[in-house]
Amino acid sequence: MSFGVIAIWVVALGALGLCLRRSPAVGRRAVADAGTALWRVLPVMLMALPMAAFLAELIPAGWAERWLGPDSGFIGILLASVAGGAMPGGPFVAFPLVLGFLKAGAGPSQMVALISGWAILGLHRTLAWELPILGGRFIVVRLLASFSLPLLAGLAAELLLPLFPGVALR
Amino acid sequence: MLRRNATFLVISALTLCSAIAVALLRGMGAVWHALDATWDLILTVLPSIIGGLLLSAALRQLVPPGALARWMGAESGIRGLLVATAAGMAMPGGPVAAFPVVLVLAQAGADRGALIAFVLAWSLNGFQRIVVWELPILGADFALLRLICGLPLPVLAGLFARWLPIRWDPADAPGMQDRR
Repeated sequence: MSFGVIAIWVVALGALGLCLRRSPAVGRRAVADAGTALWRVLPVMLMALPMAAFLAELIPAGWAERWLGPDSGFIGILLASVAGGAMPGGPFVAFPLVLGFLKAGAGPSQMVALISGWAILGLHRTLAWELPILGGRFIVVRLLASFSLPLLAGLAAELLLPLFPGVALR
Repeated sequence: MLRRNATFLVISALTLCSAIAVALLRGMGAVWHALDATWDLILTVLPSIIGGLLLSAALRQLVPPGALARWMGAESGIRGLLVATAAGMAMPGGPVAAFPVVLVLAQAGADRGALIAFVLAWSLNGFQRIVVWELPILGADFALLRLICGLPLPVLAGLFARWLPIRWDPADAPGMQDRR
């Protein structure tokens, strides 16, 4: 049991307590709604979760160094944005991967694009969490509104890079 | 109903294809390794999913519909997007907590622009993620550069989303009940 799980349950039970204080019927409705939502959300989630693990097995060794170096410029930023979107897993997987890429010679602005692509497009988070809970229509609007933004972040990083001399290698 | 089944089938097919690709390219050992990792992940996240959905359902009983319309509604302008961005950056926890909260905001009257600004601010610039993961792993210089580049993006996405002529209704969300 991590701290996060305990925190969610403390807050959730607190909110349920407030519902019950309003009236037992409101509390019952909250629990019933949660049950219905779980029933709708869980099947898609359970099928999507293995995808991250499979994708992680498919990442070829050495691709970041070869394609995403500091001199790869716009093409590198574009590749990094797309690759970031395909990068699986939560922060405990993504940030250590990025550190590995940086140490192996990937460029900092390419890595800014990679993290932004992972956070914004994050195909896997979208399929495993956003789709079951918020539905396909929301995802279409969100992706249309944001698909070009990782590129923008990478280009901004390229411009700002001279101001951050400590970035290149720790 | 049909649409939900279609989603389930598409996701299942994608997962199956990636499993076959792993089996062909990396061998069956890698497939078992991946399934093992998935099982651990499911055991870890299931308690949070149930807690997150209970939290969302309880909050939706407590927050009156439309309560946030003035702050994050379609007429809230740039200020509404800034409020949503700040809320997203302050939002702790992973996707199991954040997406159910989006349902609460939607029911309380936030429009699609504000919701998308919220989601992006949480996933891109979430304070907790930066402090717990990015800063210690990648160092202060990189984290600061990345944050500066990411800071304006949620507001931009919110503006784009409002400009797109695609309607989105909270009732379209599978996690939302429509019997109220």
